[in-house]
Amino acid sequence: MSVARRTISTPVILALLLIALALMAVFSGSRPFNQTIIDIFLRVILVVGLYIFIGNSGVISFGHAGFTCLGGYAAAWLTIPPMMKQTLLPGLPDWLMNLQLPFWAGAIFAAVWAALWAAVFGKILMRLSGIAASIATFAMLAMINTIYSNWESVTAATSSVVGIPIVRSIWPYLIAAILAVFVAWAHSISRAGLALRAARDEPTAAAASGIDAPKERLVAFIISGAVMGMGGALFAHSIGVVTPDTFYLTLTFITLSMLVVGGMGSLSGAVLGVVILSGLIQGLRWLEAGVSIGTTTFAIPNGLQEITLGIVMILILARRPSGIMANSELNWTRSRSEDPGV
Amino acid sequence: MKNLSKIVVSLLSATAFATPALADDDKIIVGFATAESGFMQAYDKPAQDAAMIRIKEINDAGGLLGKQIEVVNADTKTDRAEGAKAGLSVIDAGADMVVVSCDYDFGAPAALAAEGAGLPSFFLCAESIKAGIQGVGPNSFSASVLAAVQGATMAEWAYNKKNARNFYRLLDTWTEYNKGICDGFDWMLPRLEGAALVGEDTFKNEDASIAAQITRIKSLPQEPDAIMLCTMMPGAVSAIKQIRAAGINSMILNGSGVDGSYWLSAIPDLSNFYVPVQGSIYGDDPNPDVTAFNAKYKETTGGDPSSQYVYPGYVMIDVWAKAVERAGTTETSAVVAELEKMKDEPTLFGPRSFSAELHHQNSADYRIIDIEGGKPAVVDSWKISEPIPVADLMK
Repeated sequence: MSVARRTISTPVILALLLIALALMAVFSGSRPFNQTIIDIFLRVILVVGLYIFIGNSGVISFGHAGFTCLGGYAAAWLTIPPMMKQTLLPGLPDWLMNLQLPFWAGAIFAAVWAALWAAVFGKILMRLSGIAASIATFAMLAMINTIYSNWESVTAATSSVVGIPIVRSIWPYLIAAILAVFVAWAHSISRAGLALRAARDEPTAAAASGIDAPKERLVAFIISGAVMGMGGALFAHSIGVVTPDTFYLTLTFITLSMLVVGGMGSLSGAVLGVVILSGLIQGLRWLEAGVSIGTTTFAIPNGLQEITLGIVMILILARRPSGIMANSELNWTRSRSEDPGV
Repeated sequence: MKNLSKIVVSLLSATAFATPALADDDKIIVGFATAESGFMQAYDKPAQDAAMIRIKEINDAGGLLGKQIEVVNADTKTDRAEGAKAGLSVIDAGADMVVVSCDYDFGAPAALAAEGAGLPSFFLCAESIKAGIQGVGPNSFSASVLAAVQGATMAEWAYNKKNARNFYRLLDTWTEYNKGICDGFDWMLPRLEGAALVGEDTFKNEDASIAAQITRIKSLPQEPDAIMLCTMMPGAVSAIKQIRAAGINSMILNGSGVDGSYWLSAIPDLSNFYVPVQGSIYGDDPNPDVTAFNAKYKETTGGDPSSQYVYPGYVMIDVWAKAVERAGTTETSAVVAELEKMKDEPTLFGPRSFSAELHHQNSADYRIIDIEGGKPAVVDSWKISEPIPVADLMK
């Protein structure tokens, strides 16, 4: 049986899970719940984007929120009506100023734009490995953020960029999330993905077998950059506003912690980390807002959500240091799974 | 797979909480999509308390169009993505009008959600021109006064009443609000005959030291009459302290953002320091109704207003309720049309105007607070001689 046929069940199960979530949102008929599920899909895209690089290369990247920033602003440049761009972003070149694309085309270009910069940065950074690479990616994030927070005429500096068409339908986000999952899966079973994992686990043996680790890392970096860029563009369309600080440390740490809790070496872990933590956050928020049981309303104090989330994350990592899924994947047969059962 | 089914079951049960409420015809609903936690709560809560006071007054007097006003809340958690959700929540709960966070950046996602649903929205106290038609859409308003008006007011007042001729402009580039104050100052200065800008400089709110900027002020041939300081908390305190510590005694002009006495103990004996406010929180407002409101606020919330940013919340409900009363309905286009007809509409905190091109105040009747020896007090009132044109505000 080919690798693809042996492993296809993982992305299919994950896609079904995402479809189930989308259907729940549609049947609930509640707009905030719909928006919550859109948020979950956006995080799935971002965390899967992180997984493509971190999971396969073993190098923790703190810089991927930077690609989200590139994608979010690219979507803004491409989809805001030209009239608004003239007052808000007067420094854009004429051809870009007069361009207005539909959101999906904008998202595709945003992904290409982020991938382009991932290639430029990656060409240099991917020669590093381990902690040195992590620190360098963090420096890249700081650079992108500083440029976007100060380039007044092109990014409106720290001011909000408004006028981005808002997309409240859940389907584009579902399609993008499923696309991200399949891209991650296709990369991980490709020659490049397998070579990169070999270099992650046994660098010396991999090098001796002719694997060029920096090159394989670069491939993963570019693909994950593209996925993050697409996520950033869709994020911009989900709320209609972008600012540079949206794509900085908070986003970096929330997406990284979702990946770590889910299991860094597992695509299923990336998706489940998002779904479980987001479900928990949402549940606690409902409790904060108050839930009526009979005639009394039960509510937990504001702020308890963040504390509980922290405690749960510590517990998960104490019990399962390599995340909920560790290195295993969801599978029909559970063949490769060493699942000790939760 | 065992895990998977557990997750799906728990998520399905969670949706049970999310059933939407239906709009009710015998009451009017105001939805607050504001911050109940996070740093914006410090700005949103006081203004929201003031709004609640006005709502209670209206309800006690028989309601609006004979219906009681009800309030629904959703917490934005000082987060933009949560803000969009909070906006959608109050819309689903049947809101006829959506109130959003004080700051444009944090209020915009909820305001855009309201705009998308065809509902009117009000920023509690945003002072950027974007908080309205320009940055949200035709049904969005702000309850406060543009930052530019504050800068223009201080420049014109200091010129006329304090004989200031040589101005120095010191801008903290951190926020849109700060830039707005200085933009208003820049607009006013050429209109004042004989007034000159003797120098300008910028700093960042987080800068620990502004020694370089101070050196440039000190090296001027003569001390400027007035320094237009466009900044806000928390960096403002440190900047003011350093200016005074360096022996610069020029009058310092500010925006409303530094109103409040909570920080004055950090700079004892601060003098020659002027702030424009919509109403005085110090109990000495020339309008006795403002002082009466302060007492009412204290009675309701247990504390005095902390700054003038309490007042816009009250004004907001006031003007909106009047528009609903005149329109005879809460239907968006009718209410917006009535709001746009308001020209110098009297409110407790000065007249308010809206037009089809500006849903914000480009002129306002300001009280001037003077801080002498660390004690703030009202010394004057000032209204700029002409409103700032919308075209100049959009630059």
